Amino acid sequence: MKDLIRVRSLISAEVEMLLNQQVKKEAYSSAVYLSMASWCNRNGFDNSSDYFFKQAEEERQHQLKLYKYILDMGGNAVSPEVTGIKQEYNSFREVFEEALDQEISVTQSIKNIYARCLKEQDFVTNEFLNWFLKEQREEEYKARRALELFDVIGEEGTGRWQIDKHVGDIKYNSEA
Amino acid sequence: MVTTLIDPQASTWVDVFSTKQGAVYQSDAERCWYVDFAGKVARFDYRCLLKLKKAVYNVDIEAKLLETSKDPDVEIIFICACDHTYILTLMQIIALKELMEGTFVMLQLNSILQDRLYRIAV
Ligand SMILES: [Fe+2]
Ligand SMILES: [Fe+2]
Repeated sequence: MKDLIRVRSLISAEVEMLLNQQVKKEAYSSAVYLSMASWCNRNGFDNSSDYFFKQAEEERQHQLKLYKYILDMGGNAVSPEVTGIKQEYNSFREVFEEALDQEISVTQSIKNIYARCLKEQDFVTNEFLNWFLKEQREEEYKARRALELFDVIGEEGTGRWQIDKHVGDIKYNSEA
Repeated sequence: MVTTLIDPQASTWVDVFSTKQGAVYQSDAERCWYVDFAGKVARFDYRCLLKLKKAVYNVDIEAKLLETSKDPDVEIIFICACDHTYILTLMQIIALKELMEGTFVMLQLNSILQDRLYRIAV
């Protein structure tokens, strides 16, 4: 008996489902960053607002990358429903704390898909996911650096203004 | 409508899974499956077979069992963009679900076997 499912699609139903979940997570991240950009803008943190606008755009690109991969492999990419986006934050610092939490949860979820692919010996998808693993290094690094500014500079006096000023300068240029 | 009533034994269909209530056969040549259930044999390609599975799994059997309304206990399984519609009783839905579960387990098992065989042999 021929493996008709394999003929149709390179990825298994399980991996396809996990990748679609990831599409949703990236869409959610994008929406969260957009909300953070709005909050920062409304509260006078223009550089941070720009930073989050950029992040929102990046997350959208991540979403599309996964989406197209699913389709290219013969799967069914599902356009996600995104709900429950928090619109208000209690403090400037809280925004960055949640940004880091968000990135950590994305890294965990990519690791989870990676583990599943290893189990199935789906090396093709593993290779595809390598890009995301590397990306998460940068994403977590930037989020962590941003949060560190709060400790290094301190929030007193013109502290928040200083922090906002430096957020845009955070860059990850590791050769490793 | 592509419902055909060919005798399964007479053609090149391979048994995928069967229960007392029905059976699923695969045709390698046509790259499709034939589902023999509720008095008809219907042809499904992969996309439609997935939709059938999803439609059947989506019926909340427990809720239906607890329902006390006087509505007749039938469910219509309509699969969007495919040619088949099933009008089934609750008992038939349970039977079809069992058939789908077994079918997909067997297809998955076949995938695993083919993967292992071909990677070593070729
Ligand atoms: Fe991302
Ligand atoms: Fe990210």
